[in-house]
Amino acid sequence: MALILTDEEQALADSVRKFVADRSPLTSLRQLIASGEPYDPDVWKQMTAQLGLAGLGIPESYGGVGAGYSALSVALTELGAGLVASPLLASALAAEVLLRLDDEAARTKLLPRIAAGELIATLTLASEAGGHVTASGSGDNVTLSGSVSPVLNGAEADALLVPAEAGTSTVICLVDAAAAGLTRTRLTAVDHSRSLARIALAGTPARALAGDGPAALAAARDLANLALASESAGAMKACLDMTSSYARIRVAFGQPIGAFQAVKHRLADMEKSWELGNAALRDAARAGDAEPARFSVAASVARVLLASAYADAAVDTVQLHGGIGFTWEHDAHLYYKNGLSNKVLLGGPGEQLDQLADSLGI
Amino acid sequence: MSDDFRARARAWLAANAPRRASGDDEAEADARGQAAVLAEQKAFQAKLFDAGFAGITWPKQYGGQGLTSAEQIIWSQESRDYDLPTGAFFIGISMPGNTLVELGTEEQKKRYLPKMLRGEEIWCQLFSEPGAGSDVASLQMSAVRDGDEWVLNGQKVWTSGAQYSDFGAIIARTDPTRPKHSGISMFIVDMHAPGVTVRPLKVATGHSPFNEVFFDNVRIPADALIGEENKGWDAAVVMLRHERIAIGTMGSSRSNPLAYDSLRDLAAGLGRTSDQGVRRELAELYARGRAVQSFALLLREETQAGRLPGARGSVAKLAGSDLGRFAGNVAADVLGDQLAGFDSEELQAVTTSIIAAPGNAIAGGTSEIQRNIIGERVLGLAKDPGVDRATPFNQLRVGTQRQQ
Repeated sequence: MALILTDEEQALADSVRKFVADRSPLTSLRQLIASGEPYDPDVWKQMTAQLGLAGLGIPESYGGVGAGYSALSVALTELGAGLVASPLLASALAAEVLLRLDDEAARTKLLPRIAAGELIATLTLASEAGGHVTASGSGDNVTLSGSVSPVLNGAEADALLVPAEAGTSTVICLVDAAAAGLTRTRLTAVDHSRSLARIALAGTPARALAGDGPAALAAARDLANLALASESAGAMKACLDMTSSYARIRVAFGQPIGAFQAVKHRLADMEKSWELGNAALRDAARAGDAEPARFSVAASVARVLLASAYADAAVDTVQLHGGIGFTWEHDAHLYYKNGLSNKVLLGGPGEQLDQLADSLGI
Repeated sequence: MSDDFRARARAWLAANAPRRASGDDEAEADARGQAAVLAEQKAFQAKLFDAGFAGITWPKQYGGQGLTSAEQIIWSQESRDYDLPTGAFFIGISMPGNTLVELGTEEQKKRYLPKMLRGEEIWCQLFSEPGAGSDVASLQMSAVRDGDEWVLNGQKVWTSGAQYSDFGAIIARTDPTRPKHSGISMFIVDMHAPGVTVRPLKVATGHSPFNEVFFDNVRIPADALIGEENKGWDAAVVMLRHERIAIGTMGSSRSNPLAYDSLRDLAAGLGRTSDQGVRRELAELYARGRAVQSFALLLREETQAGRLPGARGSVAKLAGSDLGRFAGNVAADVLGDQLAGFDSEELQAVTTSIIAAPGNAIAGGTSEIQRNIIGERVLGLAKDPGVDRATPFNQLRVGTQRQQ
């Protein structure tokens, strides 16, 4: 089982990287901050129509590419490096849940449109502190009550997949964006590249999807760990490259600042943490495709390492740039905020370690 | 082809690899005597060689198997779960051995490599001196040409395995009038030659894994030179690169008391796994250990694909010693005050490993030196100014002299 990228994966990484540089450089994120839009619909159209990114994990029979976890991880790594704002992660999680459940009608109806990027779907997945939803009724006649936050692209989604407690089990319910009693409130997101919302349901009509809800939800959590680790690895590498290159050119006390061990050693530690996180990420991506029994633990490992490593690297990026790194004009704060958000989404480091300990049977 | 190799390796290991209670050579030597442990290791290495599993990537004409790093990776994977009794040969083969493969003359390779691989001759590496640790290029050991011979005088330190080595790769100053890096040469030295004195060096754990070695007018032949005269620093850099890669990718022994499996079992036995802090620390230890393993595998795969790890071996080395330190902290939290005083062998082994951990961040190049290497050779940062690099030392006192 190989950890290095295959030629195909390398080609995908190169094309996504070129796309990010051409179509969604960091200046685009600044335009989104100014306009308040959650993402650029033109960029999303190109990501989906040209690059097929929304269909990477969706089988060809449902209009996707059927490329697997490793390809998705590679694409998300490059998008993460460029802090590209998009509903890709939300859509990928929703698609994963649909694929894991056993509701052919929902799959046929939703997956081809998700793959094409025409329909934005999300999964209302949050940490334990994020609230919960209860379901009453069954089948096509379910009503949901409760609230969840923060939900990825919750305010923009056309379709919401809502895990809800039904007695002692969990069902995944499909809620239409126009459903009665659904309130979606866009949150102030610390990360400018993430659109997050609170989803409140008050007797909202929904359809319970057939299949094993808890298993589907567990699979979505594993994919979320892989995806957030991927984005974090890409963004962390961007921080490392940005800061190393600054340390090579910025001169103080008669030398490039990278000559000083106070700077050099901090960057060396950043490189070490990135290499380790990246290796763990590759291990998880491969396990997802080739060793499913190991995927949950491997994805958890990659997430917990990269969550902290990236957040630390982003703070060091600000610090090692000095005053310029703390200005609004410099890109360092965009990564700093993204790192902070990626560290805690769906549960912070403590919760991530608790989940890993559970998976390891400690 | 590689499937055949895997099947062959697996079958051979299952039939021939001894099950050991511990992977700790020093503890074994203490318990059973150095001679008995060495005899067993030599016998096993000879079997390994005869079966075609020694020197997998080395050329056939020097006793190797002439195979690729694909087979080397397979061998590492298959042998990982055995603590093979090959510790005495690890340094010789991975450091002087690999350096001879790269830089040795045809005669040197034919004479030394097959016997090294078969465990008939054991090698050590003689670099550090009392006055030259991290700054090893400031070494004072002298080699003076006298007819067809070189005469060695001086002292080396931190030499692993010198007490049972037959040969050593040594660096010495051959031209003291040049700047420090360009007056050094590397030689092969017979450790049994008259004038060589080996003394054990006791370290913080109470064990003596290292030696100090004294050279008093030790005469070695002219053709003992490895590489070119006064180009010994280049040869040393080659060997240090092999050292970091070897240390960084050797993985941790399954019986390591600070490995995740060991500490989890220890914690479970003490009823400590219901403590949230302990659970989280164990989970993090698992994650970090797994990442170090994955990184080592990634480096091997890159090598196989033709991308040499180069200075990224320093990342592996640094990560490995960091992991040991972290594991020591986890062990302290698992054991609490039971670590302060105990009467069991299990806790003795854990404590010894904790005490040994800082040594791993020093031996084979300190973590600080690894960070310099990573910064300069991986990230391309400006070199350390190295004020003594080109100028005689007695002209360098600028700090106070300028005041006059």
